[in-house]
Amino acid sequence: MLERLMNIDRRIIFILVALAVIIPTFLKVSFPITVSEPTRQIYTHIDELPPDATVLMAFNYGPSSLAELEPMAAAVLRHCFKRGLRVIGLTLFPDGATLGDEVIKDIAEETGAVNGEDYVYLGYRPGRIQVLLGMGSSIESVFESDYADKPLREIPMMNAIKNYDHIDLVLDLASSSSPAWWITYTNTRYNQQIAAGVTGVMVSELYPYLQTKQLVGLMPGLLGAAEYEKLINAPEKGTAGMSVQSFVHLLIVALVIFGNIAFFIRRRKEQ
Amino acid sequence: MRRQVPLALCFIFGLVMMLAEFSPHPVSQGIRKEIIDWSLIIWPFALVLAVASLVHTHWIRIRRRAEYWQYSYLVFIGMIVMVVIGIPFGKRHPAFVWMFENVQVPMDATMFSLLAFIIASAAYRAFRARTFEASLLLAAALIVMIGNVPVGDFIWNKLIPFGDDLPSTARQWILDNPNLSSRRGIILGISLGVISQSIRIILGIERSYLGGGD
Amino acid sequence: MELFGVWVAAFLTLCIYSFLYRDNPFYRFAEHLFLGVSVGYGIVLSIHDGLIPFAWNPFWKAVTEREPAGLLKLIPIAIGLMFFARLVPKHAWIIRYPFAILIGVGSGLAIPNVMDASIFRQLHGTLVPFAQIYAGKLGPFEIFGAILMFIGVIATLTYFFFSVEHRGVVGGISKVGIVFLMVGFGSAFGNTVMGRVSLLIQRVDFLVNDWIGNTIQSLPF
Repeated sequence: MLERLMNIDRRIIFILVALAVIIPTFLKVSFPITVSEPTRQIYTHIDELPPDATVLMAFNYGPSSLAELEPMAAAVLRHCFKRGLRVIGLTLFPDGATLGDEVIKDIAEETGAVNGEDYVYLGYRPGRIQVLLGMGSSIESVFESDYADKPLREIPMMNAIKNYDHIDLVLDLASSSSPAWWITYTNTRYNQQIAAGVTGVMVSELYPYLQTKQLVGLMPGLLGAAEYEKLINAPEKGTAGMSVQSFVHLLIVALVIFGNIAFFIRRRKEQ
Repeated sequence: MRRQVPLALCFIFGLVMMLAEFSPHPVSQGIRKEIIDWSLIIWPFALVLAVASLVHTHWIRIRRRAEYWQYSYLVFIGMIVMVVIGIPFGKRHPAFVWMFENVQVPMDATMFSLLAFIIASAAYRAFRARTFEASLLLAAALIVMIGNVPVGDFIWNKLIPFGDDLPSTARQWILDNPNLSSRRGIILGISLGVISQSIRIILGIERSYLGGGD
Repeated sequence: MELFGVWVAAFLTLCIYSFLYRDNPFYRFAEHLFLGVSVGYGIVLSIHDGLIPFAWNPFWKAVTEREPAGLLKLIPIAIGLMFFARLVPKHAWIIRYPFAILIGVGSGLAIPNVMDASIFRQLHGTLVPFAQIYAGKLGPFEIFGAILMFIGVIATLTYFFFSVEHRGVVGGISKVGIVFLMVGFGSAFGNTVMGRVSLLIQRVDFLVNDWIGNTIQSLPF
């Protein structure tokens, strides 16, 4: 019996995981979210910016991590637009270009933000580190025009924004190494304040930069989105997703504990 | 010509960029800006490499009738459809965006979500407290997993009369302390490696980027 | 058209999920189509947002305006064009030129910046709490955290220090390093699980709400 349970067909586990997601999705259960300090730091930083401040958001993610980072992007955009902050959007990866364009347009429409006055979406440029460094001298030297090919000099909002001197916070929504590039090349050289919202896979590795204040805050995956939604009092996909997530985590924890109990019983029998 | 010139170029550009980082003089900053602009111009051409390599791989598969070679035609069809719509009509054309949102996004997102099933299965089969070290890894993973989800605090607060939100607090402590220390050690090690490798590249000791041949 | 798109996306989603049962033609169809479409997308973006603004526009400006600053940009354009040598095996070695420049620039930038961001500031971050302890600014719990962090960093570094045999004191310290590393990797695993499950939740949300939900809503009865 024990042997059979330990060598169970992996497809049975797949079915259990699927059920742990599908049933709560239908039931729409919800649990209260506890906000962690690194997420609160980003919220507080943005909330305390003066009304004419500019936040640069980098949509450095593709469809494979959309589920974790888009709810985060939406929550922060809502906060910025409601506060009347100016937002510049861009991406260092081609996959992020359309995703960034869509999310910024959707939230602008919802909050009444105007393209060219409240926000500008610059889109994608190849070059990664060189893009970051190029913007240090002049944003226009890298992005001559926005994503819709409108020259930057014709966009009213960009008249006063020339380089990092005019940007109050960079928020990197990242699924790869880009936070390290911003920290290494933009924070170090231009003293630019950086915050990051990253996928679950990457969260742990960025904590050293949080303690040194090279990052002003850090949002962890879908949990970060849910926390930010709680802070701005606008529960959306992050909050709903984390409630479903609860059931899957409980299932995985139960599977691990059960697997270990079975393992120890077998080991004792063998001894 | 084939090896010495690239090595010399690498040395000159590397050295100039490194020195320019230390010198605020307008001339050196002007040179630095010009070189960054040059790199930005050169970068997008590297796309040729990626496309050439993909086309070559699938062309060979079709020519050699490798296993499932017929599917390689699909790679070309998908690529050509996107290029035929996107290049003349632009990246914001509704048909291009439609293809991205309804074909690329669902497949990419689903492909990575498969890992949720695989990670659950692997956790059940292989995540065992066999040794002291493995037990530590297991314990930290379980605490972080429970602390990450709201149900952890919810159940704790309902059942245990003390230590409000203990699961999420414990998770945060692990991330802020032992996790931070080990990551910092790794970052320091990797960074020293990056710096020494960069010095080797500039000095022409490390030449693997030149590839094989003369 | 919108619902048609949702159906296409749902079909492709299910094609990929069919892999969970076993490898099959539906999965292979979706896998190869995905590869082609994503490369095609990358080509379009790289041309529209890369080659056109960075190479074509400066080239056109240089040719039409003929100013020295503009003409200087013809040099990197020519260097970039060397990547096309990859298409002619006999001359493929020419791509070493643009490669060497990009790698040289990257290395030159990395040395001072990585040293500052990831070595000096990280060491500073490890030691600063001790100055705060000295100034009496930290409570007992924070003092414990600072000492723990210091021990953890030293022990982890010792574990990765392979120039000395891990015996005696060094062996002991490196064992402590393993403890910290295991806890660090455990926390990374816990967060990775969260990340992967989030992706699944989003796909199920799409299938349940966007596909099935919208389809039921659009039915005439």
